[in-house]
Amino acid sequence: MNNPHHLNPTSLKSRFTTRFLRALTKIRAQKPISSSSPTEIFRRYRRIKVAADKSMAYSVRSRRIWSKAMLWKLRSRSYRRQDPCSGRRSGKTNQAIMKKSSNENTTTRREDGVGFVEEADELRQLVPGGETMNLCNLLDETAHYIKCLTTQVQVMKKIADFYSF
Amino acid sequence: MDVTLLDRQQATYPLELCASSVPLFQSYLGSGPIVELKRPEAYLSGDGFHEFVYFPVGGGPEFGDSEKLNLVPPDAAPGYCISRTSSCQMTAFHAAAMKEEREDMILEKMESTPGSGSRESFTKRKAEVVAERKSKDKRIKGELEGESEVKTKCSTQVSRNSSKENSKACEVQKPDYIHVRARRGQATDSHSLAERARREKISKKMKCLQDLVPGCNTVTGKAGMLDEIINYVQSLQRQVEFLSMKIAALNSSAEFNVENLPIKELPSYVANFPAAAKLPAMPNLTCFQLNSMQKEAVNCMLNETMHPPLTATEGIASASVSIPEQALSSSTITQLQPFSTWNMDPQGLYNLYNMGFH
Repeated sequence: MNNPHHLNPTSLKSRFTTRFLRALTKIRAQKPISSSSPTEIFRRYRRIKVAADKSMAYSVRSRRIWSKAMLWKLRSRSYRRQDPCSGRRSGKTNQAIMKKSSNENTTTRREDGVGFVEEADELRQLVPGGETMNLCNLLDETAHYIKCLTTQVQVMKKIADFYSF
Repeated sequence: MDVTLLDRQQATYPLELCASSVPLFQSYLGSGPIVELKRPEAYLSGDGFHEFVYFPVGGGPEFGDSEKLNLVPPDAAPGYCISRTSSCQMTAFHAAAMKEEREDMILEKMESTPGSGSRESFTKRKAEVVAERKSKDKRIKGELEGESEVKTKCSTQVSRNSSKENSKACEVQKPDYIHVRARRGQATDSHSLAERARREKISKKMKCLQDLVPGCNTVTGKAGMLDEIINYVQSLQRQVEFLSMKIAALNSSAEFNVENLPIKELPSYVANFPAAAKLPAMPNLTCFQLNSMQKEAVNCMLNETMHPPLTATEGIASASVSIPEQALSSSTITQLQPFSTWNMDPQGLYNLYNMGFH
């Protein structure tokens, strides 16, 4: 870090940290502390993971394609869980939209003339919302996604260290 | 007559260029009757050619006597600079006057000649060729004006305008110009130029990614780089999962009280942790007491990893995998044996596992 004593309040790191900690407190408040069976821990793990992804996506807002896609995924998942009927509908519309855009892109997507389509496809599966990007955008999004992931990992590591003392 | 013409040509142009141009110019500048002048019309279309021919020529012999082979009509270009660009004009017009197949040949010849002027004039020539190629289908007069426009600009601002002409010629529709300079030995049609611009953009972005991803300096080539990037992203995602599992485990057991700490101060506190946080998180497992259930959960998660070790610097990266529910069964410590193949302080980590789980 460049300035260890002062934290930029508007940086990605601080935005993510505040959101994530708030989510953690909420999760802790929901469940009693005593339960510690593996399934319980697993459920909590899922919730924390979702909270981490959500905090990161909300910190980035919709400025990036991947964050938009991630927010969409999270929202549709939560809708599906709350109400199965409406979830089905929203799931269908979501799928329809994604399929349509991916179809458009697959028909218009060229080989890009650079010759590594398989790796690019694999990368597309990793980066959220990557199916709808051409190679140029994909590389941009990957760079930003890597930056955000490293921030996420750093903060979560520090939180874990903090709670382990 | 032919011999003298040849000598004059050879004096002003590179030898190789003359070799191909001589026959054409002989026919074009035919000192004979007008009938001979009709031959070059096969290359150019339109009536304007007549006008063009007659301006400087006024008959064959007159033209043949001129000191410099000046093909461009004097009144078509006000403020027109001849000087050293005459050779440029000559080759430019020559190229415009020929079919496309021969144009490529001439470009090759231009490249092969070492003494063909400075690089700027060379690229300018190429730019002119491109510009002229684009406007070949227009009327000859329009073509001439375009030519002269290109040439009037050339004396002062060579490179910038050549690239502008290039981009203007190739990408007229797009509002932002991609300034591409046609390099030696490369085709100059619009498609390949656009392709090249895209490829350069992509390679630039790959370089940025190379800075982000640690340990990919050894890998060369785009495919290897992409594989490294994919591995790194996967490892980061797994790390996030592992850390969230760890926090979940700690969340249930630890006696901390998050509400006590002000949320606003915590980020700065968290951020101000020393670089010790950079160390792999595994050593921290020894610091807290996990109850048996939690040990099991973390243990199972670790055992899921049967992958070969990755080159990620964070040791946790290769240890974390998303946990399927059925994997939360008891398992033995001996399954941690594969971890000894890690290239990251394997023996130390193995000892830590032993300490933490027994």
